[in-house]
Amino acid sequence: MPEIRVTPLGAGQDVGRSCILVSIGGKNVMLDCGMHMGFNDDRRFPDFSYITRNGRLTDFLDCVIISHFHLDHCGALPYFSEMVGYDGPIYMTHPTQAICPILLEDYRKIAVDKKGEANFFTSQMIKDCMKKVVAVHLHQTVQVDDELEIKAYYAGHVLGAAMFQIKVGSESVVYTGDYNMTPDRHLGAAWIDKCRPNLLITESTYATTIRDSKRCRERDFLKKVHEAVERGGKVLIPVFALGRAQELCILLETFWERMNLKAPIYFSTGLTEKANHYYKLFITWTNQKIRKTFVQRNMFEFKHIKAFDRAFADNPGPMVVFATPGMLHAGQSLQIFRKWAGNEKNMVIMPGYCVQGTVGHKILSGQRKLEMEGRQVLEVKMQVEYMSFSAHADAKGIMQLVGQAEPESVLLVHGEAKKMEFLKQKIEQEFRLLPDAKKPRLLHGTLIMKDSNFRLVSSEQALKELGLAEHQLRFTCRVHLHDPRKEQETAMRVYSHLKSVLKEHCVQHLPDGSVTVESILIQAAAHSEDPGTKVLLVSWTYQDEELGSHLTSLLKKGLPQAAS
Amino acid sequence: MTSGLPVPSQVGHAGISSLIMDPECSQLLPALCSVLADPRQPVADDTCLEKLLDWFKTITEAGSSLLLLQENPCLLGLLCHVLKPQDLSPRVLSFSLRLAGMLAAQEDCFQYLQQGELLPRLFGEAGPLGGAAWTAPSVRSGWIQGLRSLARHPSALCFLADCGAVDTIFSLQGDSSLFVASAAGQLLVHILGLSLQGPAEGHPGLQTGDWPVCAQKIVSHIEESLRSAATPQITQALNVLTTTFGHCHDPWTQVLWGRLSPLVACLLEKDPVPAAHSLVDLLLSVARSPVLSSSSSGLWETLAQTLSHLSPTQAGPLALGILKLQECPQVLRAQAFAVLLQPLTCVLEATAQAPGLLDSLDGTGGASVTVDTLLPSKAACVGLLCRTLAHLELLQPLPQRPSPWPQAPLLGATVTILRLCSGSATPTSDAGGHLCAFLVGCVRVQRAALDFLGTLSQGTGPRELVTQVFAVLLEYLTSPDSSPTVLKKAFQATFRWLQSSPETPGCSDLDPHAHLFLRELLPVLPKRLCSPCWEVRDSGLEFLTQMIGRWGGQAGFRRALLASEVPELTEQLLRDPESYVRASAVAAMGQLSSQGLRVTPASPEHPGGQQKSLLAELLHILSTDSEGFPRRAVMHVFTQWLRDGHADVAGDTERFVARVLQVASQDLDWEVRAQGLELALVFLEQTLGRPSSHCPYAVTPPVAAPPSSLAQALRPLCRVQLFEFAFRALFDCDRPVAQKSCDLLLFLRAQTASYGGPQGSGSVPEVASVEAALQRWQAGDQGQPLGYLEPEVVVAVLRSMDLEGLRGALAESSDRVEKSPQSLLQDVLATVGALGEDEADCY
Repeated sequence: MPEIRVTPLGAGQDVGRSCILVSIGGKNVMLDCGMHMGFNDDRRFPDFSYITRNGRLTDFLDCVIISHFHLDHCGALPYFSEMVGYDGPIYMTHPTQAICPILLEDYRKIAVDKKGEANFFTSQMIKDCMKKVVAVHLHQTVQVDDELEIKAYYAGHVLGAAMFQIKVGSESVVYTGDYNMTPDRHLGAAWIDKCRPNLLITESTYATTIRDSKRCRERDFLKKVHEAVERGGKVLIPVFALGRAQELCILLETFWERMNLKAPIYFSTGLTEKANHYYKLFITWTNQKIRKTFVQRNMFEFKHIKAFDRAFADNPGPMVVFATPGMLHAGQSLQIFRKWAGNEKNMVIMPGYCVQGTVGHKILSGQRKLEMEGRQVLEVKMQVEYMSFSAHADAKGIMQLVGQAEPESVLLVHGEAKKMEFLKQKIEQEFRLLPDAKKPRLLHGTLIMKDSNFRLVSSEQALKELGLAEHQLRFTCRVHLHDPRKEQETAMRVYSHLKSVLKEHCVQHLPDGSVTVESILIQAAAHSEDPGTKVLLVSWTYQDEELGSHLTSLLKKGLPQAAS
Repeated sequence: MTSGLPVPSQVGHAGISSLIMDPECSQLLPALCSVLADPRQPVADDTCLEKLLDWFKTITEAGSSLLLLQENPCLLGLLCHVLKPQDLSPRVLSFSLRLAGMLAAQEDCFQYLQQGELLPRLFGEAGPLGGAAWTAPSVRSGWIQGLRSLARHPSALCFLADCGAVDTIFSLQGDSSLFVASAAGQLLVHILGLSLQGPAEGHPGLQTGDWPVCAQKIVSHIEESLRSAATPQITQALNVLTTTFGHCHDPWTQVLWGRLSPLVACLLEKDPVPAAHSLVDLLLSVARSPVLSSSSSGLWETLAQTLSHLSPTQAGPLALGILKLQECPQVLRAQAFAVLLQPLTCVLEATAQAPGLLDSLDGTGGASVTVDTLLPSKAACVGLLCRTLAHLELLQPLPQRPSPWPQAPLLGATVTILRLCSGSATPTSDAGGHLCAFLVGCVRVQRAALDFLGTLSQGTGPRELVTQVFAVLLEYLTSPDSSPTVLKKAFQATFRWLQSSPETPGCSDLDPHAHLFLRELLPVLPKRLCSPCWEVRDSGLEFLTQMIGRWGGQAGFRRALLASEVPELTEQLLRDPESYVRASAVAAMGQLSSQGLRVTPASPEHPGGQQKSLLAELLHILSTDSEGFPRRAVMHVFTQWLRDGHADVAGDTERFVARVLQVASQDLDWEVRAQGLELALVFLEQTLGRPSSHCPYAVTPPVAAPPSSLAQALRPLCRVQLFEFAFRALFDCDRPVAQKSCDLLLFLRAQTASYGGPQGSGSVPEVASVEAALQRWQAGDQGQPLGYLEPEVVVAVLRSMDLEGLRGALAESSDRVEKSPQSLLQDVLATVGALGEDEADCY
């Protein structure tokens, strides 16, 4: 068993300031660098003293990996890189790189604005920190150095969220960050291949929960907003700049369109354009439906949602306003809340978690008389609703991911100790992770003999160690089609047919006349004996075996007759 | 919940209670204790318990803990209750242990709790220590922290000895939780210090055999650990000693080190040296201690021995630590410096540099180390070189750095390393070839070397070497292989070297040497400004802004810059898709324009060019850019222009200020609004006659004669609608804006006073209407604009406002109400059962 050391510097058995140090094969990697919004002092950041005592940070750490843009995963990053002194590489996906500075900037502004904190990271520091970022693509193997490589997998959760595999030699760890195993309105489900890591470090926010269908929550949300607007009330939805806000915008936009509603919907602080920009830029990170619809209409170009101006809050009549920040602890959302709180026709919907000490937390816990500044008491008569739209995997989803990745061991983080204990038992029961000498185990790998030693290693590792080049094995199949037309025309017909049938997949017609569906290649050739028959040469990799078989059976059924 | 403890005496505490806890909190406390004691009512937010402890800490530090217990018997009830066998949350148990420790920190309260045997039940074998709860790291941590707070007085020491706590702390040093293990080590240090505070302090000659039992026990444990064959135990002992000697400089530390130093020295005889990192920390801690370094005869020998025993990687931090010492024998310093320089010596040797350089680097003249032994693999080579360069970078600016400082060989070595990394060096030896293979394309080493090269600009070097420095910098700036982070560092190092170049006597222009370099550099800059990476474009612009700021007024630089494409490209970057780059382009354009380096339509270089004025362009960015950074950058440039009397502004200052304030006041970003007020303040100062510094290249605005009357002085301010902006900003939802506005108006009021006389006599209806508007704004209504205000009205309103009171209110952070203990208690109580299962989430 290789020695892999995991030291949670934060979010071991709680939520907030996620920061995990992993030592694997002599390399040290920091996974996430988050902050805790519940504290205003040093405790808001992970305790870095455990690593600073090991000498210079840049020498000790080989890299930092950020899983996604939420502040509990990246909020301490500028502090760590610009104030504590880490000067090495920081890896994250392209969307995370784009969105992270916006949220950090929001957070900085609130800290300076609300609390008047002077000793805080500056805009320049955020920028300097972002310049150290190396952006990665999904499934791209990134060589951090000669020995350490990382690879990102889709995690759902929020735009750009990724799970990371960290590999040194034949040892590997997968860190999930936050993930979601069920697709939602705008994002797909998390996915990982059977990478069989030595260790899977997974979040366990909902370790004991099987969450109800999101559809029910969405229906409930729309019903509540609709009721409030119908009775002439104003609805405030406090949100953070990017993420959940866009999901709810799509939801309301579609509903307004369908119901032909006229009440205005506003989105504060120019965030619509910003969000729109990023979702357009990273359209491949959204789910199938949005990608497909995008060809006809960009789902983030909202017809009903307009930019908010401070003066609109006083306008008579119903309206819906998305305003920042999400916990009602400062700025515009708090200002609007104070204006609207006294009217029972109005409603505030909190779509996420609020830390203690914020107005959001107070109203969610049922407090209705709030002491504001200057001993003023604000009576909250408006309706208060909480709806969790958070996108974490539930217990079933976590089990599903463990099944997908087939790790040797699992480490649960980012959750509560008690709930983790329960999930631990479930995982042990289902996957029997504990070694059982009597039970046969299936092992995958390549047996190599080197220096009179046998070792079973992954095929990639074997290639590397033996200095061999990789050969790709493709399955092939020939399909005969009765078609007297020229080969190019047959290929065109195949393309049109597959395009109409395989809507979920990327079907392309290449300039050389061949057709591709994912990794599957189809070429049309003339039959050597029968000029009225064409031969379709189909080949595919083992990864697309299922699709390859499906496609050949489709082609064997023949092509539809072209309309005359 | 009953404590079973006697009621404590109230004598001597009368009148203090009100200072300790306000009545509202006292009223809520029993309910809180009930909630905490009830396992069916879990506290949802784990930060609440931490904050409650913060509050109790403030209270116990400010007043009597005994009185606190006496006035709030529910606290004692809670502490007794948690001892009952039940399914209590580990968090609450941990909280109770910490609270008990805090209360028992005062000896009278400790005695009181002892009467009820509460402390042994909490911290002894009978408590959580022996139960199932002990498996939770939070409980073990709470136990340690509780004892850490409690151990403040002699009675506590007896208690620790009696309840066997010290043995438990020994075992917790090896706890699976790093946090617990580390806290256990800290606690041992604290107990050792406390136990020796009385007896050994008064008698420095006292030997360890005469020390209190508790201290003797700890010393024996450390000795045992140092003799152990297990590295973790040795590490624990070394860490305890390091912290002890780092924090305490009492004479007894001398006795302790005298006893333990032979054991520490024995560690050096082992191969490999165990816990080398911790050993280095300990030796440096001893060397830094004024008590130990002056008295310890064998210390310098031990340090010298350690330097030669450790591997180059382990010895580096020790060498740096020795060189940073204020007092240290010269021989040891020379040895340490030689160790530090070894890798660079090796590089120079392998690349067959002149032997003269080697001599000055390797002062010991000992056997030189080969690349094969010192830098055997790529990982070892990269790691060691990065560390060495970083250590030298730290050492370079220190007054105690070795003298003479081998500036030239260091420059030579750094340039060589950079060339090896870029692949431009052509080593002839095998060793050089190995090095080249290890280093080529290595970003980590490039970054470290460029940082160090920048630091070396503080010293001088032979002309030939400086030429090489500029050449290697240019190579990095030009190379398409340079990564964005490397380029950024190359730009920074370049600027530092240019800055350090000697100026031509008399004209403060760049020296011809640097000037020549600049001529080669300027054609490179456009390529970087067109890079597909925003990081590179931005670093290029930042570099350009620095350059213009420094040499914008010098003829040679101006000519070279104007002859390049740089100004034009910079202007194009105002429309860059990346907001950071737009903001940097705004700053650069502001500088270019201030220095008269912007290519204007009228210029002969661009006849017939249809260029928009920069002012209009920047105003457009201020009104339309969707991101805050560029808008903030524009406001910064405008304020600077106004301050410097920039030509575009000086033509019609009032119109400029009015337009900028109008746009800035509407901005959704509070920092832009705050900067708007900053600009307003500059205008106000200029209008009311305060002299401001002028840039030598700016058009000097006509000097206005001091206004004869207050009304006359205020009229321009009224015309630009400064007051409408400032009055509205007073009630801005973002506190810094309101604060800034308050300061501005207070300054104005003070200024108006200097004009004397009761001139604030605007017509009553007008004043009343402004005051009514102010009240509406305070209530959160936006309302209609005020329009033009007469100076007299402004003065009257200003004098009627309680600006001092407002400033006082704004000085308090806006979450002080939410942060108050009362709010915390209310939140904890209200949350019980209110939040559902899925309360935990991300944000």
